[in-house]
Amino acid sequence: MALSALNPMSPCRGDDSRGADLPCATEATRLDRRALLVGAGVVAAGAIGYPLLSNVFGAESPVFLARNQRYDSSLERTIRDGLQATGMDLSALAGRRVLLKPNMVEPSRSRPQMTTHPAVVIAAAEVFRRYGALVTVGEAPGHVRDSQMALYESSIGPALEDAGVEFADLNYEDVVWTPNAGRASSLSGFYFPRSVATADLIVSLPKLKTHHWVGMTAAMKNLYGVLPGIKYGWPKNVLHHAGIPQTVFDINASVPRTIAIVDGITCMEGDGPILGSAKEMGLIAIGAPVAVDATCARIIGLHPRKIDYLRLGKRLGPIDEGHILQRGEAWRELASPFQMVEAPHLNRLRRKDAIETS
Amino acid sequence: MLGCLVNADCERVLMNHLDHVIDSLAREQVWRYNPTSEPAAEPTALAAVALAAHGRQGAAERARVWLAQLQNADGSVGLRAADPTPGWCTALAVLAWKTCEPSADCEDYSRPVRQAVDWMLSIAGETSAPQEEAGHDTTLAGWPWVAETHSWVEPTAQGLLALKAVGQGDHPRAREAARLLEDRLLESGGCNYGNTIVLGQQLLPHVQPTGWTLVTLADEGTTTPKVMRSLDYLERELGRTTSAASLAYGLMGLAAFDHWPNDADGWLTAAASGALRRGASHEMALLALAGLKRKHPFPTGDRQVAPSIS
Repeated sequence: MALSALNPMSPCRGDDSRGADLPCATEATRLDRRALLVGAGVVAAGAIGYPLLSNVFGAESPVFLARNQRYDSSLERTIRDGLQATGMDLSALAGRRVLLKPNMVEPSRSRPQMTTHPAVVIAAAEVFRRYGALVTVGEAPGHVRDSQMALYESSIGPALEDAGVEFADLNYEDVVWTPNAGRASSLSGFYFPRSVATADLIVSLPKLKTHHWVGMTAAMKNLYGVLPGIKYGWPKNVLHHAGIPQTVFDINASVPRTIAIVDGITCMEGDGPILGSAKEMGLIAIGAPVAVDATCARIIGLHPRKIDYLRLGKRLGPIDEGHILQRGEAWRELASPFQMVEAPHLNRLRRKDAIETS
Repeated sequence: MLGCLVNADCERVLMNHLDHVIDSLAREQVWRYNPTSEPAAEPTALAAVALAAHGRQGAAERARVWLAQLQNADGSVGLRAADPTPGWCTALAVLAWKTCEPSADCEDYSRPVRQAVDWMLSIAGETSAPQEEAGHDTTLAGWPWVAETHSWVEPTAQGLLALKAVGQGDHPRAREAARLLEDRLLESGGCNYGNTIVLGQQLLPHVQPTGWTLVTLADEGTTTPKVMRSLDYLERELGRTTSAASLAYGLMGLAAFDHWPNDADGWLTAAASGALRRGASHEMALLALAGLKRKHPFPTGDRQVAPSIS
């Protein structure tokens, strides 16, 4: 078997010898009827069972975009406005367990563009707390075992202490087995940390970055970080072997209800998700993860339909522009193509018009 | 932060704090990642090694017995009672069982050790033909975190230490693991979690895998200048505020090569206070191991452990 930690295009686990040369990316395009039905079921359960999100998930999905945002400005107001603009009933948050999931994959003080800024984490926490939610910030850093170090290097730890927000170390929590509701990969289920399994709402709080294997990482890919390293390794190589696009989709299909608040203020371009350069965008994006990621892809110059996990993600929510209801700013006015590593598997993701204007 | 001004004072203050840490570890009936989680193999194994190294064989024996109860029929040791897989804690359990000194009043762990080592030798990280995108040697097999995945630095270091502890340091798997660890050192020093260069860019070093690697390579006679650069990297990194676990692993890596920063006693003292406050037994165990300074923190079998360069 090829080294899937390095190359997501390597064969998927379970491929037979005939299919061993088929890249997982190709597998991602396969849509079987059962998976379609499962995906639809997940969305329906979210809409029927939880009025809190009834307007966020649907055939059409609203995405809120705010521009000219800064880490030292009124982010709390922006986030509150964005949640309301996307149809969230904030009054329904009272007493609910809300887990905020920032990106702390491999924090380094010298590369703050790699991780979600603490100001965004705290602003989101304050919004949910003001409406009576029981807020926890949780993360299972994907590349480092020492979560205390990750908290310090990302500056999120001191910020949480100052704000009195609890942190759940998802790498080491006790786990709950949950069936794989997506079934795009061969994994039959996931071990979710208890804080994830028992959350009423998960808020993906990613940093908007390029990704040198799958093109982009934002709301959906950020949920790799809800799986515990203690079960999946550092890095979570089990997921790489099962196919990155497939497992990104499967995790998103299997977690409890999720919304996204994207830190797109200082982003990462180039060799993301770790070694890329900072790119100032001043952006906050809010909505359901699939629609938010599709919008972010357009903004950074990528074609959502060519990003494999987004193509799979259509089972969970719309990615076509015509089905995404724009709130706040229009994405076209914010578009600014990100530099990418020069590689065939990335070049094919670019929007033609983005290349022409970059 | 330091709480002391001269080395002798610092060492005395540190010893006092470490006594509290060892006492606290010894009082535990089970060991866990944090006070509210289930007992777990890794903190228990680290506690056993630390307690035994500090002469608390009675408490260490409780930890060793608990680990033996956790062992699966195939010889592997799971994460927790409810999590029999993956088996990456098996090597740590071997190290814990090997702290049972012949003179100590403890169970006979020869059978669990043999079964565990057999299991370890039955699994290896996935290899592949050399890949253009990768800077490291993908043909070398060490140990994975999870079966049927690639080899990574920490489980490979733990596996190699365990084989050395049972007198199998010359086993072909041990030799290959040593080559893998040397291969994974970054050119500029330090270790990433397991890759070196991806798509032409060198990855970032981290303290914890660097510490594990240096502890494991200390008696290998490694001549690569990457080791010296790794020691320099740790000296630089530990000068900044860091967490208890990273501090402990970093100091263990330095001490394995006879390096001990002037301020290290003060750093350990401060970290010990924090770990006691948090009640985190794995942090306490690691700090107790780092407090051994130049004494090798893990059981070494019959081999002489002396750094090859200083």
